[in-house]
Amino acid sequence: MTEYRDAEARAASRRLLATSERELQRIVLDMHDGPVQDIFAALSQLQVLERALAADPPTQQRSRQAVRLLERALGEIRNFIGAFRPPGFERRALGEIIEGLAVQHETLTEQGVELDLPDDLGDCALPTKIAIYRILQEALANGHRHSGASEQRVIVEREGGSLTLTVSDRGRGFNPERVLASEEGVGVEGGHFGLRGIQDRVEMLGGAFALESAPGRGTSLTVTLPAE
Amino acid sequence: MIRVLLADDHAIVLEGLRALLDGEPDITVAGWTTDGTEVVKLVQQHKPDVVVLDLELTTIKGTEVLAALRDRPTPPKVLVLTAYNDGESLRSALDAGADGLALKTESPQQTLTAIRQVHAGQLVFPQAARRWIEGRSAGAPGDLTPREREVWKLVAGGLTNPQIAERLGLSDNTVKFHVQHLFSKLGVKNRTEAALKYAHGARRGAPP
Repeated sequence: MTEYRDAEARAASRRLLATSERELQRIVLDMHDGPVQDIFAALSQLQVLERALAADPPTQQRSRQAVRLLERALGEIRNFIGAFRPPGFERRALGEIIEGLAVQHETLTEQGVELDLPDDLGDCALPTKIAIYRILQEALANGHRHSGASEQRVIVEREGGSLTLTVSDRGRGFNPERVLASEEGVGVEGGHFGLRGIQDRVEMLGGAFALESAPGRGTSLTVTLPAE
Repeated sequence: MIRVLLADDHAIVLEGLRALLDGEPDITVAGWTTDGTEVVKLVQQHKPDVVVLDLELTTIKGTEVLAALRDRPTPPKVLVLTAYNDGESLRSALDAGADGLALKTESPQQTLTAIRQVHAGQLVFPQAARRWIEGRSAGAPGDLTPREREVWKLVAGGLTNPQIAERLGLSDNTVKFHVQHLFSKLGVKNRTEAALKYAHGARRGAPP
């Protein structure tokens, strides 16, 4: 009976995962179709205006200021959209999605990602794919924000029915127990490192999570999930 | 004069870009449309050098438009303009054979620069995207990779990029990247110079 309930609860949380991905997609599409188009168009027009104002330096200066403000707003949206648009989970295999994320991370941050993917990685179930994508995204963002390393290393392996993701760096490291404890009960705000979110995703799919780090020793996060 | 055709669902974007491009001395807007299904017809009619194409069209898939343009006897350069700075957009644009990618989340000035670059034959993609084009292991900088040598030989033999792509079983974009790298490593500006350099090496008894 409990086994049945567990299975049911797991199925429900998988559905919830897919629903939240759809919600994110909707928000991102709205941003893309609305403000981004408007601001880009406004900037084009303003740049025409700016050229026409060559004879009137003070006014040209004001228009230049407006351009800078709009460019900054666009930059903020860029970071947001870049981070949240779900990739084509249904169209692309796991390896391609991971490569896409690595390329995106390098483009947005200029921090290198060394990727180690087996050629015969194959694909996996949708909830696992979503979980690996979001966990990797969070881990790369952490490594960029906190490690101070110029490069991160990502390894994905398949063994039998499970997939293992390892994200590591040789950066400054931290005390994992302290950080994990500080993220207990952070509620909807989420912790600074988002490690709780990673753990929750892993638990939802019945996987395993390991974090190794120490000050001055770099960091290595390993997550194992059922492929199907 | 660079003749540009603009295709974007968003009329305000078209209007803004048209105004901006019209003010450039070396660029002229040959046509524009908010309807993706019109693009191929307009290209046939106006014969632009560069098509600026939004990949997220509503009436037809942007990648289908791109494929149709690539199939033309003299395909125009295609610059994809998108709001998404993610791996997915990059991958779709590359797979569909675009010459470059510009972002609506960056200044329209960047779009102008990218139009000139693709017109000049450059591939305009972020550095990070190279892993998709060159494979996972890169050769030592400054030295030609075996693949680049192969491409060099074929360039010297007068083959076009599509012909080289077919011969080596690679995509057009991959060949373009190899050619670009080859040129920069050889320090040459075009195919003729690359061919001359090849012939020169061969004459000296040191075939590359």
